[in-house]
Amino acid sequence: MSLAYETIATLRRRILSKEIHPRDILKDLFTQIDAREKTLHAYTYLNRESALADAEKADLSLPLGGIPIALKDNLNALGDPCTCASKILEGYKAPYDATAVSLLRQAGSILLGRTNMDEFAMGSSTENSALGLTRNPWDSTRIPGGSSGGSAAAVAGRIALAALGSDTGGSIRQPAALCGCVGLKPTYGRISRYGLVAFASSLDQIGPLTRTVEDSALLLSVLAGHDPRDNTTDLRPPEKFLTQKNGSVQGLRVGLPKEYFLPGMDSETESAIRSAADWFKKNGATLVDVSLPHTPTAIAVYYILATAEASANLARFDGVRYGRRATDARDVLDLYHRTRSEGFGAEVKRRIILGTFVLSQGYADAYYRQAQKVRALLRQDFEKAFTQCDLLLTPTSPEPAFPLGERTQDPLKMYLADVFTISTNLAGNGAISLPCGFTKSNLPIGLQLIGPRFGEETILRAAHAFEQAHEFFQRLPPS
Amino acid sequence: MSTPAKWEAVIGLEVHVQLLTQTKMFCGCTNHYGDAPTSHVCPVCLGLPGSLPVPNEEAIRLTLLTGLMLGCTLAPVARFDRKNYFYPDMPKNYQISQYDDPLCAGGQVPLDPFLFPKEIQDTAEAKAGRAIRLTRIHLEEDVAKSFHFEDRSGIDFNRAGTPLMEIVSEADLRTPGEAFSFLGSLRQVLLAGHVSHADMEKGQMRCDVNVSVRPISQKEFGTKVELKNLNSTSGVRRALTYEIARQIAACEKGEAIAHETRRWDDEAGATFTMRTKEKAHDYRYFPDPDLLPVRTDQGLLEAARARLPELPTVLQARLIQAFGVTAYQASVLGADRVLCAYFEKAAAQAKSKATVANWILNDFLSTQPDPATTPILPEFFGELADLVADGTINSAQAKKVFAELMANPASPREIVKRLGLAQISDASALGAYCDEAIAANPRSVEDYRAGKTNAINALKGFVMKKSQGKANPLQVDEILKAKLSA
Amino acid sequence: MSAPQINISDVASLARLTLTPEETAKFSAQLTQILGHMETLSQIATGAVPEVTPPAQPALRQDIPTPSLSIEAALSNAPAQANDLILVPRILE
Repeated sequence: MSLAYETIATLRRRILSKEIHPRDILKDLFTQIDAREKTLHAYTYLNRESALADAEKADLSLPLGGIPIALKDNLNALGDPCTCASKILEGYKAPYDATAVSLLRQAGSILLGRTNMDEFAMGSSTENSALGLTRNPWDSTRIPGGSSGGSAAAVAGRIALAALGSDTGGSIRQPAALCGCVGLKPTYGRISRYGLVAFASSLDQIGPLTRTVEDSALLLSVLAGHDPRDNTTDLRPPEKFLTQKNGSVQGLRVGLPKEYFLPGMDSETESAIRSAADWFKKNGATLVDVSLPHTPTAIAVYYILATAEASANLARFDGVRYGRRATDARDVLDLYHRTRSEGFGAEVKRRIILGTFVLSQGYADAYYRQAQKVRALLRQDFEKAFTQCDLLLTPTSPEPAFPLGERTQDPLKMYLADVFTISTNLAGNGAISLPCGFTKSNLPIGLQLIGPRFGEETILRAAHAFEQAHEFFQRLPPS
Repeated sequence: MSTPAKWEAVIGLEVHVQLLTQTKMFCGCTNHYGDAPTSHVCPVCLGLPGSLPVPNEEAIRLTLLTGLMLGCTLAPVARFDRKNYFYPDMPKNYQISQYDDPLCAGGQVPLDPFLFPKEIQDTAEAKAGRAIRLTRIHLEEDVAKSFHFEDRSGIDFNRAGTPLMEIVSEADLRTPGEAFSFLGSLRQVLLAGHVSHADMEKGQMRCDVNVSVRPISQKEFGTKVELKNLNSTSGVRRALTYEIARQIAACEKGEAIAHETRRWDDEAGATFTMRTKEKAHDYRYFPDPDLLPVRTDQGLLEAARARLPELPTVLQARLIQAFGVTAYQASVLGADRVLCAYFEKAAAQAKSKATVANWILNDFLSTQPDPATTPILPEFFGELADLVADGTINSAQAKKVFAELMANPASPREIVKRLGLAQISDASALGAYCDEAIAANPRSVEDYRAGKTNAINALKGFVMKKSQGKANPLQVDEILKAKLSA
Repeated sequence: MSAPQINISDVASLARLTLTPEETAKFSAQLTQILGHMETLSQIATGAVPEVTPPAQPALRQDIPTPSLSIEAALSNAPAQANDLILVPRILE
């Protein structure tokens, strides 16, 4: 079997036993890429030569020694482009490594390439990329999800072993669900954001997209930890995750938040999630009905706070110090206007304008400050729920992958699709999405497990147990 | 120039001070002026995508220290906010500053009377002993430096991100002289705490001014005008003098004062309207989500407290009390802590501290010494003062010793020996000189005996000349009088 | 409380964006709709919202220099430069 179909855990064992060499993995991956990438268009950039060179020098004793990993195109990697799928960063070459990238290198992994995304991580379908569409490996007429659509499509499409993504309102979990792979958004403050191009600073987190929960835990162990360069990272000492894989959910209290199970839900999604809940019950877990009463406000709170922060974070893209600069500008003001208007796509402009508005004089109290207050209430909802249960179980996405082009003219409808993932970012909790079923048309359905803050170990153990008891993770997309 | 009695000027200052830290406010780049352009720059202070700020704890400590020195209320929890606007010298097009929760609130700057302009130090205005209230002190990052060419500008990001402390006064100032003293007095406090060198001409302290005028009895403020491009404390004074006159003249003609920003042109000696912006800036302040709130009550405050120096007002009072110096002398010494330490060492053992003060502040200072490295050790002054006090040399000889001390430093005792200057106090030797004097000046002797007591001076002068100035004048006086009345 | 009419041009100007008339019209309609969805927030009783207590020891940075980028690296992405300065067109006050 092609090495591209293996998990990192397996490949590491085979590398250490000298059965295979990292160049063998790359060879198989490149074969798959050559066959599938044209359709999927998951990548914006491939490090073919440097990956092969790195494979020869890889220190195989390190935890990820010789393992190629793809990066979402919003993570700075020294010497490589970092386009964020935007025209405004055309030509930019990163003069530094993101901490997460540095940690990957220190763990011996090889940078394989950079994956497509919604421009500046703003979107849920990867249709907002200035660098072309990415397609869902299960049905090329459908979206892969977003904004880490390229990462999910690559992993699910077997043209990457694993990829890093970023999640601000669901951008790792939702594409993982729609593409049928595992996507983990750690607790806010778990992984350093230094070097991740910021969308919404209080919501963004880097996380792994992988084939299995075990691989996810492996990457989390490498990436988690305090970074003196990121003031928002937590100070707790480093941890290794999922070292015990006993696969039992006995005694686990699994909460089902009623606001996530509304009438009129997509029936196939609901059915798959209910089956998953039943599995937990059958295996010794207790199901608990809980409530997260402020859930209906989450979209509004998110789109106020995220766009407000984004409007400031994206102000630096002005053609002065890097990236694309409008030609023949009359003066600096003209430079700003033309560079930004020519360089940003419609969704980015829309969000910058919304974010600027909710912070502006006369409106900031009613919008920005009010949203901050309600955010605190959402956080409180989660804290209260976790006094009654150990994990929350919900769908990741209200529906499976919809067709490309269906929602591009209706931004609000697009925003409403984030409803199940958004609250976790607002509360700062960690959550995982993993496959829990398929629709009749063979589209993946994702199960979301949300944990208390810094409760990744609980999430990973439960997810691993569920995963290994089912075969969803082994199903391959059509060739 | 004083304000005509009908009108009153109302002045507030906004002062930005560069802090003496090794590194920038939010990154580890070196904080140093004058190096090659773009040589102290990193992803953070260049505003590269993905960069994140981390606060400099020394900058926070220095700000807390300043707050302590100026009597401010210090916040137990302080926060950083983003101030959003676009400008090419702004790496992120937002400046990280503090809005709702600054490190310090309130406080005041006492106006040192000797830091008013010299010409008005003797006026009621300077002697009033006012203290100007502060609104707040907060921390922010500085912007890059632009160089303007004909059709382009060049930007050096070395300065971008350096720590800047902003001190805002209440609109308590009433005259240009007070503004001048405020800046000088503030600077003394900052120097005392090693917070900043605060030299306006080197850009280490920058000042914007808000000024309005109103009829004396009126409670409401007039329309305020902001003045920019003030590059020295005297420039501030000149600009205010001009602007206040301009506003009064306009008001007296019934003209409205435009609420605007005006640029001071030092050469032209006038303020000019800057290109007016249609709208006031909407900075859209919000808490910076990249920065955790700073708790000052977990060690930062204690560390700042431990560094409290002797405040200028306290130091000056102590110098007057312990050493008998004048208020003016105390202010000169207080303005230079190294000189002051030198003086205190010099005066410590001396019996005549006032003499030591005079020597140091007049003769010694005029040689523009470096008190830290001068070979003229502070103890020498005390020694010299004591040599006079105990009669080894007289004051005329002391002058000679002093001159030699400045020119070829050595201990005064050495110099006295070297120059053979020891005062003659031996009664018989002096007696011999006196006899000589009496013999050589019969006329003066006669006059003295006839009741013209001043005639003794000629005899004294004779003795001093004969003894090459070494005779102890007091003893000579005694001996002559005794002989003349015999 | 109904959604406010955003003056899109004013807001775009604050963000240094120039919109075409079509964009202005489209965004205006879309943002009105989005803001309409947000009206429910004003009804939420926030009351005594718990303040998040900041951590006891903030992770501040010691005042010790760390390496900067080389001048070359710092300027490597600059669209226009001369004499190690980043160049921009005229800045009008």
